[in-house]
Formats: sequence, C-alpha cells, structure tokens
Amino acid sequence: MKRLSAIVDQLLVWFVLIQMVALTCVVIFAVIARISGNSVSWYDEIAAIQLSWLTYYGGAYAALHRRHIGFDSVLLSIPMPLRAYAVIFAETVVVGFFIILAYTGYQVLVVLEGDFLVSLTWVPIQFTQSVIPIGAALFVLCEILSFPDYFKKCCDGISLEHAEIEEEVETELAKAGIKP
Amino acid sequence: MIVFVMFIILIALICLNVPIAVGLAVAAIFGLAVTEGIDSVVTLALDMYDGSTKFSLIAIPMFVLAGAIMNAGGITDRLINFVSAIIGFVRGGLAMVNIGVSLFFAEISGSAVADVAALGSILIPQMKKRGYSAPFAAAVTSSSASLAIIIPPSIPMILYATSAGTSVEQLFVAGIIPGLLGAFGLMGMAYYFARRYNFPKEDAFEFRRLWATLIDALPAFTLPVIILGGIFGGFVTATEAAGLAVIAALIVSAWYAKMDFRHLKRAMIDGGVQTSVVMLLVAASVVMGGFLTRAQIPQEFARWMLDITTNQWAILAILNVFFLIIGFFLHSAAAIILVVPIVIPLIQAAGIDPIHFGLVVTLNLALGQQTPPVASVLITSCAVARANIWDVSKINIYFIAVLFAVLMLCTYIPSIPMYLVDVIYRS
Repeated sequence: MKRLSAIVDQLLVWFVLIQMVALTCVVIFAVIARISGNSVSWYDEIAAIQLSWLTYYGGAYAALHRRHIGFDSVLLSIPMPLRAYAVIFAETVVVGFFIILAYTGYQVLVVLEGDFLVSLTWVPIQFTQSVIPIGAALFVLCEILSFPDYFKKCCDGISLEHAEIEEEVETELAKAGIKP
Repeated sequence: MIVFVMFIILIALICLNVPIAVGLAVAAIFGLAVTEGIDSVVTLALDMYDGSTKFSLIAIPMFVLAGAIMNAGGITDRLINFVSAIIGFVRGGLAMVNIGVSLFFAEISGSAVADVAALGSILIPQMKKRGYSAPFAAAVTSSSASLAIIIPPSIPMILYATSAGTSVEQLFVAGIIPGLLGAFGLMGMAYYFARRYNFPKEDAFEFRRLWATLIDALPAFTLPVIILGGIFGGFVTATEAAGLAVIAALIVSAWYAKMDFRHLKRAMIDGGVQTSVVMLLVAASVVMGGFLTRAQIPQEFARWMLDITTNQWAILAILNVFFLIIGFFLHSAAAIILVVPIVIPLIQAAGIDPIHFGLVVTLNLALGQQTPPVASVLITSCAVARANIWDVSKINIYFIAVLFAVLMLCTYIPSIPMYLVDVIYRS
C-alpha cells in the first residue's frame, strides 16, 4: 500500500508541476500576445480548462496528504472510541461523495459525445471534462491510501494541520540554516 | 426548514473534519434531492466542472507562484537588509523590520502562512537572540503577516471579487490605505512595547548603507511596480498582472543568481495544492449557490435583515460581528465562499458599496487568522518561535486591537479605503 501511495504521489506531483508550468506559459503567452496586438482566441477557454485540471488532480494530491481545508478541533475533542467511529463515518461521506461525482461525471461524458471546444474545434469536450470522473476516482484512491495514517493520527489525538505547520516550519528553519 | 437541515448537515460534517468543500456539496446534494428529486443530482458534475473553470481565479496560482519564485530567489534577505537600513535604528528595530518586511512581502505574495514561515524563520530566531521574548517575536510576526491579505495582491480579495461579482482591481486599490494604516499602527504598538521592555536598537541610520541596500533590493521592487502599476494604470487585468509578475520574479531571481530549485519545486507544488484546495471549495460553492439561488435564500435573508433594520451602519455592524465569529472557526477562503454569496443581495439592497464591504470582509478575516482555534498564521508563528499559543495570544491581543481599530475606521469611515478607488476609477 505504501509503494502504491508513493507511486501515486510521484505521478500527481509531476502532473501538478506540469500543470502549473503549462498554465503559467499560457497566461504569459496570452499577455504578451495581447500587448503586442495579436490576442489569441483560445486563451480564456484553454486556461480555464487547465485550472480545472489543476483543481482536480491537485485536489487528489491534497487528499493523499490530507491537506483540504477542514476543522479538526471538534473531532479531536470527541472521546475514544466514539472518535474512531466518527472518523470512519466522515471518511465514508467523503468517499461516497466522490463516487457520486465520478458516476455523474461519467454520465455527462456520455452525453457530451461528439461535442468540441469553441476555440479549438478539434479538441473533444469529452477529453477536457474527463477530469471530473478521473479526478474523482483518483480522489477516492488517495483517500483510501491515506486513510490508515489519518485514522491512526486521529485516534492518537494528533492534529494534521499542526503537524503540517510543524513540517513547514522545520523546512524553513533548515533553509535559514537554523537547527530546530 | 430544508435550509435549516442543510445547515445542520454542513456544520456536522465540518465538525467531523470532512473537507469543507465536500461538506458544502453534500449539503447541497441533500437540498437538491429533497426539493427537486434525486434526478437533479446529475447536474452535480456539470456544476463542479463549471465552478472549477472560473477564469478570474487563474490569478491565484500565478500570484502564489510569483511569491514562491521570489522567496526561492533570495529576495527575503535583501528586503530584510533594506528595511533594517530604513528603520532598524529605532528602539525595537527588529520588530519594526519584521513589520516593514511583511509590508513589502505582502506586495508580492497573497498568502500569509507562506510569508510567516519564510520571514519568521529568519527574523524570529534573530529577535530571540537580541533579547526579545519568544511570545513577543511570534506575536509581531503573526499580526504583521496578516497584512498580506489586506494589501494587494490578496487571494481572499480575488475570491471575494469572484463571489460578489465585483472588480478585483478596485478591491486591490481599496486595500492599500488600510494596509498602510495597519502597518503603521502595528509599528506604533511595537514601539510602545520596545520602550516598555527596553528592546534594543539595531545599527545607526546611515545614508550609505540605505543606498547600498536599496540598490541590492531594487530588482525585487519591480514586482510591486508591475502588479500595482499595471493594474492601477489600467494596462493589465489582475490575471495578466499575475502572469507578468511570474516573468518578473523569474528575471529577478536569475539576476540574483540564487535560485534554490529544490525549494522552488516544493513551492510550486504547494502553490498548485493551495490553488486546488481553494478551487474545489469554489466548485462546491457553485453546487450550493445553484440551490440557494433557485430557493431564493439570499433574497429571503436580505428581506429578513432589512425588516430588522435598513440602517447601513447597523447592517455593517451585524455583519462585522458575524464575520469576526466565523473567522475564528473557518479559513478565510472557506468563510468568503460560504458567506459572501448569501449576504451580497443584502449589501446591494442596503446601498452598501460591494468594494467597501469586500475590504471590510478582508479585514475581518485578517483578524480571524490571529484568533484560535483556526489561526494558521498564529500557529505557524508559534511553531517557529517555539512559544505557547496562549502566551503569544496574551501579547498578540494588543496587535489584534490595532487591526480591529483599522477595521472600525474602514467600516465607519468608508472614504478611508475608498479614497484611492474614487480617485483612480470613479472621478
């Protein structure tokens, strides 16, 4: 499971990096094109699609590292073993939601067969909107992969937000040449 | 009744640490399924896709990336040296430098947590060595980092503008005077502490040193010039300014020849993740927004509030209290996405300028970053300083009071935040 988690982690890291670089390139190109009086028609549509891809693939990566915006103070104050049940229930809700999203996303893809983008007429909308079912499925996978560690931390009463901040601080202190 | 049940579902899921984006969407699905039948849920995927393609929000990853490149490119040290040369000679010099650098850093990055980790890791250890207490060092760093979301470019402002359908450029302009007021107010409070506890001065003021540090830091100032000059001059949109800021950041970092690529890679991933986390919230808010609009909830809320009072100042006071409380428990992005679409019809009906209100919301959320339980900026400062959060909060309350005073001034004297907006856009 750890090996699979590491593989998914690396795949998503590189996808997020490539998306960030590609989105930056598109925005910069479009700005230069507009300033030089040669605006490109595909800019708005393509950049918006890239943002959507970054949202869902980045969202899956965030799920793998449990970095979505949440509020764990109440959960961690629930006594054990009730807390463990609450964590399992919450996890079921999250996974269930993304299964519904993947299913409805797939249904939309079926309906969209034969449609193409407005600005780049050779790109099928099925391709651009595939991010919803694929992203949702990846999200479910990442939730499952990261659940054992999250469950253990919750049972031990460790706040993930605090742990993440600690990690960030250690990195910045190390960068500044200070031993934590 | 159905809205009340949805609200309970949302609160219950948030309390169970379900990602707020998921909680929002699940509550909306419940509302849709009950009122319009289970078949209506099929629009979920379309709404979640549409929500993630909001073009104006492309500025978020760009600004995050520009800040990350500048931070990885050696700007922080130069800014510290420059601000130290300007103001380090004052008693409590390092505290002043901390606030002053935060002011400059806020011009580059829209994220307070990233700023506090980057600046705090350099300045807090220095402050501790020079005799400042760890809680004081953490309090100054934490409160001054909140300037990042008041002064443009600000991610919460971009989110507000998108949620409220207002101009992000005008909102950026509205943030300048309150941001400067906040910075000078924090410096005044730091000076009071410095006199009281006899904190040390740094090197004496010298024009030669100021000139040398200015020349060294000069390339870094191209970013605020591009961002502020470009937007305020009407040459570029906020998204385009963000793209240009990335180019400028790359050029400046190449000029300094100090790019830490490992750090840059990590910062880019963090930027991507930060963007995706916020965008997922935005996408979920479209699902909820669709339901609320069809059910006329924002309009009902506006009517209900206006039945209580039609006085603008009373409405602003009520919303101030509401946003202050919500800021205790929610991150700024979540608070904006959850609440702004609901209160905007009220703001419009009461005749309040949405730009003015956007600034009020941002100031409230800046305060919320400083107040536990959800206080990511404060917690980061405490972690860097190795100080107890309650010890830090005891001192931070004075700095929070300064930010609160700025909030009150900006709420009840709209000409303070709106002066530059009126001059640049409305005269």
